[in-house]
Amino acid sequence: MKRKMDPVDVVIVGLGAGGGPAAKVLSEAGYKVVGFDKGPWLRPEEHYSGDELKFQNRSYLWPDVNLMPRTVRSDDKSEARIFNFSPVPSNVGGGTSHMAGWMPRPRVSDFIFHSLHGELEGASLADWPYRYEHLEPYLTKVEWSYGISGLAGADKGEGFRSKAYPSAPLPPTSFGKKFYEGSNKLGINSFPLPMSHLTEGNALGRPAVNRTSFWNQYGDPTQTRSSVATTYIPEALATGNFEVRADSFVREVKVGKDGKATGVIYIDPSGLEIEQDARVVILALGAIESARLMLLSSSNKFPDGLANDSGLVGKNATFHEYIFAVGLFDRDMEDPLHGWTGNYQSGGSTHFYETDESRGHIGGGIIATTQIGQAINAIMPGRPTWGQAMKDADRDYFDYSMKIGFILQDMPQETNRVDLDPTVKDAWGMPVARITNKPHANDIAMSKWQIDKNQEILQAAGAKKTIPVYLGDEFTGNACHQQGTVRMGTDPAKSVLNEWGQTHSVENLFVLDGAGFPTALGVNPTLTIMAHSWRCADYIANIYMKGRSERLNLSPIKKS
Amino acid sequence: MVSKADWEIAPIHIDPDTTEKLFFTDHEWDTIEAAAARIMPTDHDPGAREARVIVFIDRYLSGIDYLYAAADGSGFLQLADKDAHAARARNANMQRLYREGILELDTKARELRAPSFKEASDQIQDEVLEQISGAPKPVPVSLTSREVYYSRLQGNTDEGKSFFDTLCLHVRQGFYGDPVYGGNKDQMGWKTVGFVGPKSLKDTMDGTYSTAEFFIQEYDWEDLVPGFKHSQDPTSNQQQNGQ
Ligand SMILES: Cc1cc2nc3c(=O)[nH]c(=O)nc-3n(C[C@H](O)[C@H](O)[C@H](O)COP(=O)(O)OP(=O)(O)OC[C@H]3O[C@@H](n4cnc5c(N)ncnc54)[C@H](O)[C@@H]3O)c2cc1C
Repeated sequence: MKRKMDPVDVVIVGLGAGGGPAAKVLSEAGYKVVGFDKGPWLRPEEHYSGDELKFQNRSYLWPDVNLMPRTVRSDDKSEARIFNFSPVPSNVGGGTSHMAGWMPRPRVSDFIFHSLHGELEGASLADWPYRYEHLEPYLTKVEWSYGISGLAGADKGEGFRSKAYPSAPLPPTSFGKKFYEGSNKLGINSFPLPMSHLTEGNALGRPAVNRTSFWNQYGDPTQTRSSVATTYIPEALATGNFEVRADSFVREVKVGKDGKATGVIYIDPSGLEIEQDARVVILALGAIESARLMLLSSSNKFPDGLANDSGLVGKNATFHEYIFAVGLFDRDMEDPLHGWTGNYQSGGSTHFYETDESRGHIGGGIIATTQIGQAINAIMPGRPTWGQAMKDADRDYFDYSMKIGFILQDMPQETNRVDLDPTVKDAWGMPVARITNKPHANDIAMSKWQIDKNQEILQAAGAKKTIPVYLGDEFTGNACHQQGTVRMGTDPAKSVLNEWGQTHSVENLFVLDGAGFPTALGVNPTLTIMAHSWRCADYIANIYMKGRSERLNLSPIKKS
Repeated sequence: MVSKADWEIAPIHIDPDTTEKLFFTDHEWDTIEAAAARIMPTDHDPGAREARVIVFIDRYLSGIDYLYAAADGSGFLQLADKDAHAARARNANMQRLYREGILELDTKARELRAPSFKEASDQIQDEVLEQISGAPKPVPVSLTSREVYYSRLQGNTDEGKSFFDTLCLHVRQGFYGDPVYGGNKDQMGWKTVGFVGPKSLKDTMDGTYSTAEFFIQEYDWEDLVPGFKHSQDPTSNQQQNGQ
């Protein structure tokens, strides 16, 4: 027989970037909240250190592909293969426990992408059901509570901001300085991109940044890189209203006769199946897993998956492939670039963010110069794999190469989607997410143009050779950004969620991760995910829980 | 179930100079050591042989006891339940891959009239490696040629690779990995390429190890970001203008 826990006000599934702010806001508002994560609750000061092998090669934090597989195929006709697509760590903190830390704001144009561009053949462009100005106060709240360093006003195209950053940026690294030099030669507005850490003398009075350089994909033992596990989760716990259940896999959202969600069924650490009832269910499992859980939660009322009356759950997935160019410098002419130092990213630009159709594509994105990594995995595409040539390449270029990466803003397509794999199961015996994706022609064109531009910057900075890494025929999910799958919109026939992340058809079910994003954004998504979650949680706490509802009235778009 | 958060630490330490074999037979040990020395050769800097890459590989293959060092390097994590299960299955495959790979190295060496791989000349060993890699021996990086690549996953596991690719990856790992895993003796690998790594993993946990000295010490954002004007108080509540 199933065990049942005492009911609570709110259940949150997934305690990463999306679940963290919601846990804080709702428990601070006085509601009883239980948060589930299928992963463990690691203790940074005890579990994290600068061990390249453990974190980058042996997947200590990334999901074990044999336990939590995903499958991928490029279209309906091809067979899906098991692949660690878009791996994000499974633990309390989710992706924030090891992310690189780029925390740029989205732009005004992101929210009105369809209005600005109209239809793009083969794509499903859409406006967001709210605008930049609706999110701005929450972007500021996150920057000031989570702890972000940046240089307000340095990004010339940034939208309105109500407050500067609580913390100044880190100094540039050697490769960062080269990046500024190259950009400035070409008249490109570059600046220290905001990052999720605090520097010395920050306005929040918290400890300053860790400078070990073990950053992207590593956990931070000093807890000075912000993570929801060391900020919002402890803040939520401090209210006495929040409980974390780690190592607990949620396998179904339950629905009552009236069509409302009644709670969840989860498998506890000892393998028992347990029910947890709640007045509100919030999903924040990451866009792939949120869609999967909705599809797994089919019932008489929703035979095709929870809240899937539109048939859109899982569709319009976007993944932001990470592509880059590497420059090799002449060690006899230059000072070392120390591409393994710093805090992953050191300077970036949004100069090529906005659409310029003369480039042959619409949209754009953000670039940044980043570490090439520590010695085992140092990134040098085409490095000889063995013998004297390999040793010479390592010795010559480990300290003399740099990389400029680009977050590719892929266009939403209904055919790019997540559904349930018909044969492959995870370690809990549940069908895994199957990803179907093929880049749009616009994605390929954007990849080519932007990476060639990155090569120009490297050349202007003095690189002797540049090596491009473009988008291939399929996304690899290597940015580990997930958006789209459970679209927000105003029309229930064309979207699953409204502007509060609330499903159109199950009024007490909310999806508060990147799944709601109708377009991918040209920036890394996590700041937006957090601000969005906060905004929606505010609505749940102050409007929905009080028995009221509200809709946003959007004014017509002024085209400049 | 024992949560990953509570895996025990076995206080085991690896002596890089050990000749005690936990997985390999004597012959297998010598064969892999010889192959590793062709993959990361010795020149005026040490190579795989001096850095004790063989110890690193032997420990890794011996089971799952050496998979994850404790964060502070005080021993190794003892995996439990599902994770241990998956790791053991993976290890069994890896052991098989190596045993078969070593047989192949010897077979190919004998076809080239050497008594065995480990007793073959450098040149024949290279020829064998070329054969099993299916490509000519890599040539030096050229600054004038132009190549194009396509994106791939971050991180680099040894899942699903051929024996040759696995061996090359493991040699890199043993040469450049943290010395706690048995290779990279005296940080030889790091010194060879100029990576100033931590003295111990523990030093990366409390700020003892830092790359702060490698940041640019003197700079001015107004120079690096032309047109940017610093406000007096960087944390002021002043409104910044967008477009
Ligand atoms: C190496 C790397 C670097 C990155 N760098 C950046 C960066 O610089 N900037 C940026 O903006 N973004 C970055 N990201 C992306 C960032 O991590 C994600 O955008 C963010 O974590 C997404 O938040 P989320 O809440 O949607 O999901 P997550 O943070 O992934 O959280 C989801 C949580 O749900 C849990 N969960 C899933 N399924 C279940 C279930 N069935 N039951 C219970 N719990 C479940 C998971 O265990 C997980 O902890 C990076 C990602 C990676 C992997």
